Amino acid sequence: MTPEYDIKAMAARIAALRRDATALKEISGGIEAVGRNADRILACVRMLEIDVSDAAGLDEG
Amino acid sequence: MRNGEYWNPILETLPPEKLRQLQLKKFREIVTWAYDHSRFYRKLYADAGLEPGDIKTCDDIRKVPKIEKAMLREVQGPGKDPFPYGDILSVPLEQVTDYRQTSGTTGQPVYQADTAQDWECSTEAYCYALYAQGYRDTDRLFVPFGYNIFIAFWAYHYAGQKLGCEVIPGGVLNTEARVLKMQELRATAMGATPTYVLGMAETARKLGLDPPKDLFIRKITVAGEPGGSIPATRQRMEAAWGARVYDQVGSTEIGHWGWECRHQSGLHVNEGFFLVEIEDVDTGEPITEPGQRGKMVVTNFNRLAQPCIRFDVKDIIAWNAQSCDCGRTFRLLQGGLQGRADDITKVKGVLLSPAAIEEVVRDIPQLSDEYYVVVTKKGDIDDITLKVEILPEHQGEADAIRTALTDQLRLKTNLGYHIEFHDYGSLPRSQAKTRRFQDLRPH
Repeated sequence: MTPEYDIKAMAARIAALRRDATALKEISGGIEAVGRNADRILACVRMLEIDVSDAAGLDEG
Repeated sequence: MRNGEYWNPILETLPPEKLRQLQLKKFREIVTWAYDHSRFYRKLYADAGLEPGDIKTCDDIRKVPKIEKAMLREVQGPGKDPFPYGDILSVPLEQVTDYRQTSGTTGQPVYQADTAQDWECSTEAYCYALYAQGYRDTDRLFVPFGYNIFIAFWAYHYAGQKLGCEVIPGGVLNTEARVLKMQELRATAMGATPTYVLGMAETARKLGLDPPKDLFIRKITVAGEPGGSIPATRQRMEAAWGARVYDQVGSTEIGHWGWECRHQSGLHVNEGFFLVEIEDVDTGEPITEPGQRGKMVVTNFNRLAQPCIRFDVKDIIAWNAQSCDCGRTFRLLQGGLQGRADDITKVKGVLLSPAAIEEVVRDIPQLSDEYYVVVTKKGDIDDITLKVEILPEHQGEADAIRTALTDQLRLKTNLGYHIEFHDYGSLPRSQAKTRRFQDLRPH
């Protein structure tokens, strides 16, 4: 793995981003500008999960 | 660890055993997604008696049925619901944000649906390539290519943007104007097909410009043709531009799965995003031994709208025994794409199927049954000559036949041809299987 980076800490922050963006979308009250931008954020969060979090899970296995 | 060398050192330097572990996990996830969300995949796997839970080890991956382009065509198109993607679509239609398609030169085009997240993932995969090739936020990218319904260079544009580069879309300009715009704006990098990279250099010289001295391009990413992995072609391009040239490979259905890094040691497979398997062309047995050529089977781990799982691409590849000095653990291919398992080849960056030409020729009743196609290189440009015979009773219709051939060939194959009419009966006849397609380009 890569000891220079705290992957688990990054994964925890990424999970928090997902929670926040999802929660924002849920309370958007149907405002397109909020919901669609939250979707964009979630797509970027997914990239962070692919880049970081998925590999962080390997250490636990 | 060398900071600044990698877009994402976490995946790019993951130890091989961890990489295999990650690939198995992600393979299971995408198979489960497809099984749960796509009628096409559910039927395919159910017919094979397979459930996602059956995949427990890397060896189990081979139990999963492969897909081919023809299968995708079969489930898509008119009358298929949801139109036009049919049963392979794995998300509600309203989540599809991007449409692209294959060129259709091997038959009916394959329609490709992407969600916004899918497209972000295509862009992300391309970021790995561009960063590995030395693209940075100080670069000014020129795209000398008209964006089309096909996948070509869309991701180059968006990945460049994501890296923080400044991207110049040069699509609607002609070649001379593109060269002059590159000079005017001092563009430092570009992406194009190898043929066009050489063609632009020739145009620049005709304008009285010497690209290495008068232009500022120092990095070129090439795609769409094998030239980037052919040493002589690469040397010619690098000499013409005074730039480093890097190969990049991908396709509409798969995504951008391989690229060269700054060390130019061969194509790295992005093994964090894709699973590339190599199979013996005849037996289908897996090939893991470096240097042994076989057929590529590829899986994209992250594409959700239209999953690409164990896609039999028919490209011929081989693993490279060498590792790269860059330190990435992503494996290298030897010699790039080494050909195709069937007759399909790339001409001027477009997949060309001899069958598509035959379809056109045989659909024109004034022509005889005989024809030959010869592909050569004139200078740096691919050239296709189609030799046909007009039946004796239609000798006076040459102009109309030429027009029909030109139009239909352009429509069916997206390519232009030199058409030669030969006297009826003069083309070689053979009782054995006839080799109608001759590729005389030096490789």
